[in-house]
Amino acid sequence: MDTAADVKSVDREIAIDAKPETVWELLVNPSEMIRWMGQSATVDLRRGGAYRVQVIPGNAASGEFVEIDAPHRLVYTWGWEGNANVPPGSTTLVFELVPAGKGTLLRFSHRDLPSAEAATSHAHGWSHYFERLVATAAGGEPGPDPWITGPMAKS
Amino acid sequence: MDAALKAIAEPRRRQILALVRAEELSAGEIAAQFDISRPAISQHLTVLKEAGLVRERREGTRRLYRAVPQALGELRRFLEDFWDERLATLKHEAERKERSKHGYRR
Repeated sequence: MDTAADVKSVDREIAIDAKPETVWELLVNPSEMIRWMGQSATVDLRRGGAYRVQVIPGNAASGEFVEIDAPHRLVYTWGWEGNANVPPGSTTLVFELVPAGKGTLLRFSHRDLPSAEAATSHAHGWSHYFERLVATAAGGEPGPDPWITGPMAKS
Repeated sequence: MDAALKAIAEPRRRQILALVRAEELSAGEIAAQFDISRPAISQHLTVLKEAGLVRERREGTRRLYRAVPQALGELRRFLEDFWDERLATLKHEAERKERSKHGYRR
């Protein structure tokens, strides 16, 4: 078994020209959350509280909050409803917001992805998400931003 | 990568991929696991092969198939692309919000 190919985590660091408080709102406030992820969201923002994001029709991601330390650190579990390989609660998202001047350094990590096989299935759900994004962008809906089409054009 | 995504969008192809991850199997051995026709299996194998997810090897008249480990690395890149896009949108929205807070035009 080639474990090197196994997907265990995805880690990113990005600089954002906005205060941690501003970024925090986008992470935990349902109406703000859907600006960058999903169509609708329900959030019970407390430790052990549940959230659910309708990513596309028929595909919802959900999980529970593990750590809430506004506006510094947010940890919640993540998985796809109805997906046996990556069920809700099976993987973990970690957002760390580090003040950097007037902005924020966001450290992001998607952890506990169990195996490449499961990731294959996970990617399946996400490929639908992409199709949806492409359709939305192509449909010329005024709201969604060019950032969605921009990075996609690169591949 | 597009081809790989399309290839794994079909549940049977994901099952085939899972079968040949750990061991090399002939088309017949793979077909025996499914209740669909042999030609249908061959077609799925062709799609997987063209997507670079499985490798075909001939041994006499038999064709043997095995998953390409590096191709699963492609999936890793897909996941990374997914989050890159989400995080880029998050950054964009946060910065737009920050500017509007300071009275700039959105």
